[in-house]
Amino acid sequence: MGVTRREFIKTTAAAAAAASIGTTLLPGGVKPLFAENDMEWHKSVCRFCGVGCGVLIGVKNGKVAAIRGDKFNTINKGHLCVKGFYLHKIIYAKTRLTHPMIKKNGKFEKVSWDEALNFVAKKFNEIRKAHGPDALAFYGSGQAETEETYMANKLFKGCIGTNNMEGNPRLCMASAVGGYLTSFGLDEPAGTYEDIEQAEMFMLIGTNTAEAHPIVFERIVRHKMKNPNVKILIIDPRKTPTDQVADLHLFPKPGWDLAILHAMARIIIKEGYADEQFIKDNVVFKDNKKNLTYEQYKQFLEKFTPEYASKVSGVPVEDIVKAARMFGQAKTAMSMWTMGINQRTRGVWANNLITNLHLLTGKIGKPGCDSFSLTGQPNACGGVREGGGLCHLLPAHRVVKNPKHREEVAKVWGVPVSNIQPKPGKHTVAMFEALNKGEIKGIYIMCTNPAQSLPNASKYWKGLKEQFVVVAESFFPTATTKFADVVLPAAFWAEKEGVYGCTERRSQYMPKVLEPMGEARWDAFILRDLGIRMGFKKEFEKYKTAEDIWNEYISLTKGRDLDLSGATYRRLKKERGLRWPVPSEDHPGTYKRYVKGDPIFDELSEEKKKGRWIYFYGKPEGKAVVWARPDKGPEEPTDEEFPFALSTGRVLEHWHTLTMTGTVPELNRAVPKAYVEINPEDAKALGIANKDQVIVETRRGQLKIEARVINRPKKGTLFIPWHWEEWMANILTIDAFDPGSKEPEYKVCAARIRKA
Amino acid sequence: MNGKLGKGLLVILFGVLLIFAWHLQANDGKAQGEKHPDVDFSISCTECHQEVTPEIVAQWKSTKHGMMNFGCYMCHGDGQVEFKAKPDTDNCLNCHTGEPVDASKGGNLQCFSCHKNHNLKFHQ
Ligand code: SF4
Repeated sequence: MGVTRREFIKTTAAAAAAASIGTTLLPGGVKPLFAENDMEWHKSVCRFCGVGCGVLIGVKNGKVAAIRGDKFNTINKGHLCVKGFYLHKIIYAKTRLTHPMIKKNGKFEKVSWDEALNFVAKKFNEIRKAHGPDALAFYGSGQAETEETYMANKLFKGCIGTNNMEGNPRLCMASAVGGYLTSFGLDEPAGTYEDIEQAEMFMLIGTNTAEAHPIVFERIVRHKMKNPNVKILIIDPRKTPTDQVADLHLFPKPGWDLAILHAMARIIIKEGYADEQFIKDNVVFKDNKKNLTYEQYKQFLEKFTPEYASKVSGVPVEDIVKAARMFGQAKTAMSMWTMGINQRTRGVWANNLITNLHLLTGKIGKPGCDSFSLTGQPNACGGVREGGGLCHLLPAHRVVKNPKHREEVAKVWGVPVSNIQPKPGKHTVAMFEALNKGEIKGIYIMCTNPAQSLPNASKYWKGLKEQFVVVAESFFPTATTKFADVVLPAAFWAEKEGVYGCTERRSQYMPKVLEPMGEARWDAFILRDLGIRMGFKKEFEKYKTAEDIWNEYISLTKGRDLDLSGATYRRLKKERGLRWPVPSEDHPGTYKRYVKGDPIFDELSEEKKKGRWIYFYGKPEGKAVVWARPDKGPEEPTDEEFPFALSTGRVLEHWHTLTMTGTVPELNRAVPKAYVEINPEDAKALGIANKDQVIVETRRGQLKIEARVINRPKKGTLFIPWHWEEWMANILTIDAFDPGSKEPEYKVCAARIRKA
Repeated sequence: MNGKLGKGLLVILFGVLLIFAWHLQANDGKAQGEKHPDVDFSISCTECHQEVTPEIVAQWKSTKHGMMNFGCYMCHGDGQVEFKAKPDTDNCLNCHTGEPVDASKGGNLQCFSCHKNHNLKFHQ
């Protein structure tokens, strides 16, 4: 195959130029860019964050050899962030767990699957018999597939008979769930990513979008580059890479931003930016005790002058006014938030106050408008929120408290309804507390690493040490497997099929493209086989394929707000995911909830819809709630003894507890270790220089770590990326939690710092 | 005499070893031309290059790749397991097969033939 003369001239000229600037062509001359004729490409989804980017997995000679962004996936249009870019390498990590093991005399020994599962089944049955079903617990993950969480739900809630079934989304998304439920009556956002390119203004609050949701950030950047008038408001105590596109940044003291949101609402109403007709038609007002009138709500807001909010938050008055006007003046606005709002003792309230701004200005339900929570994990929405993987939930947005819900689920599960307890089980912090106290005696942990990721982590090691712990994992060792009595090797991404549901209500299919490594098995089948060995043969033997499980699950979504009945495997294998509600196989999925085009809205009676273009059908009369919540600060405010506010978070290149990204040399190279960020003024006052070893201390523990003196955290605050076991930030964090959502306040606690 | 011979043999042996070593090195592309100078692996590429080649870092930062923090390692390797002083363009295709750039339409061309410098400006 020849090279055309034009190409030849181009490439030789380029080679000369390249030599002079230090980039050059490949040795050996010109190579066609698509030389992978023998590569098979499979459509899938990224394993990491809740953005849910589409990927193509390249398989060559039976091995996964490459990854590529899927250009036909409208979420990322072919782009990937640095984590997704290296995802395929993780399959072959040296730390893959390939054999079941049982700890014997303090040491892990390889055993057969039979021995491992029989042992776990026997132990669990003994515990259940001696101490009742609530002495057992399950702790899962927003990274597990929907099918996997579904099987765990059935085994623990439906067969064993305990609601002690939780997952790590409790630690990241529970406050967003609480926020949506209290404001709209139903969980998950009204809008989708499609709103990004139609928004005139973004309020990014408590989110470092550039690092935690990179492809969403990329879409915002692209949109702003094309439309320079697009305004971006950031509210975050820390300057982050997201600031590259900021028009205005408010730096509140950590945990003190509720007053700002109320002050913005007050200015919006006072300066005439409120959509009075929208409010009249679609909104009611409430405080923590009773319904309010609009006038009473305005009275409540009187306290929240910009001066008051400034005093509480430390943000200049004029910035608060500017922020409110920016939101009010924009024709369309999209709010996005994540852990900075959710991981708070008043996370639900903070969620409500963001949504208030949209309800007051009518910036919801229209293109380019939404209060849009960004999900941290790839299947926190799909598997755990929708799948019902928390202690008070049942599949398809049902709750254990509702007798009708219990009946519907028990029928499909083929179990007596009396098996499902009406009382919620123990939420995550309470569950690990109960393990410490010995009330829970056996726990099954799947696809997550709580010994490192729980807040105030070391407090909960006692229970993990003392009780019977089973860990199903793809990697070994982790901070949690150290405490395990049994470890079960789990198939990793690309070694199993299943569905992930991302931030924008979109469910996407992932194929199995290679056999699991070693003896690893698919989590859903490990649970099935454990169930059979525990005596639930009839309940579990029918599941032969992933599709069997998915079909049963979507049958439970029929007629629910998250109707997925039309999202069959047949369709999902072909399409780039579907956004619910998708009630039938010929339905295209739903771009916007509560308005025309949403099948549930469309089916409402004419009487209900009369004069209404939007109807919040999760609430009586279709009216959403504007909440007058008190402006409470963090659980552990700073004081003389602990004068710094400590916050933790992610870096772009790493994921959670490093079990995956820690195995990729390039990503380790990019960010090789943890550090504590400290503002230059604070560092100077304490005599701390860049790269000094320092001790960061809270009431719960202390950590020796390198200082990074940098103008990122606001004065008086510290920041530690939480990924490393060696520098375990969660030794320091507080386990106080939101009384509504039970989500802990990872984002704020009081600390002090000194030179080591 | 014996001592002299011994010394002579030693010199020859040393010479042979040297040539052998050079040969080995010459045959190993990585070792010959693609070895990153000794580095402190406890800090990131950008942290060090901020000091040693600030103009390159500034160029990179001014681009969307810089904004997205697509680090040095993505084209040049981690510097330890893999190092490509002159990167190939295979990795570009991991993202650029859609919008706004579809590199797969470049036929036999290599991306860096036209996208120059660390700002990857087209034809500059
Ligand atoms: S943005 Fe999230 S989903 Fe997309 S490639 Fe990166 S980690 Fe994966």
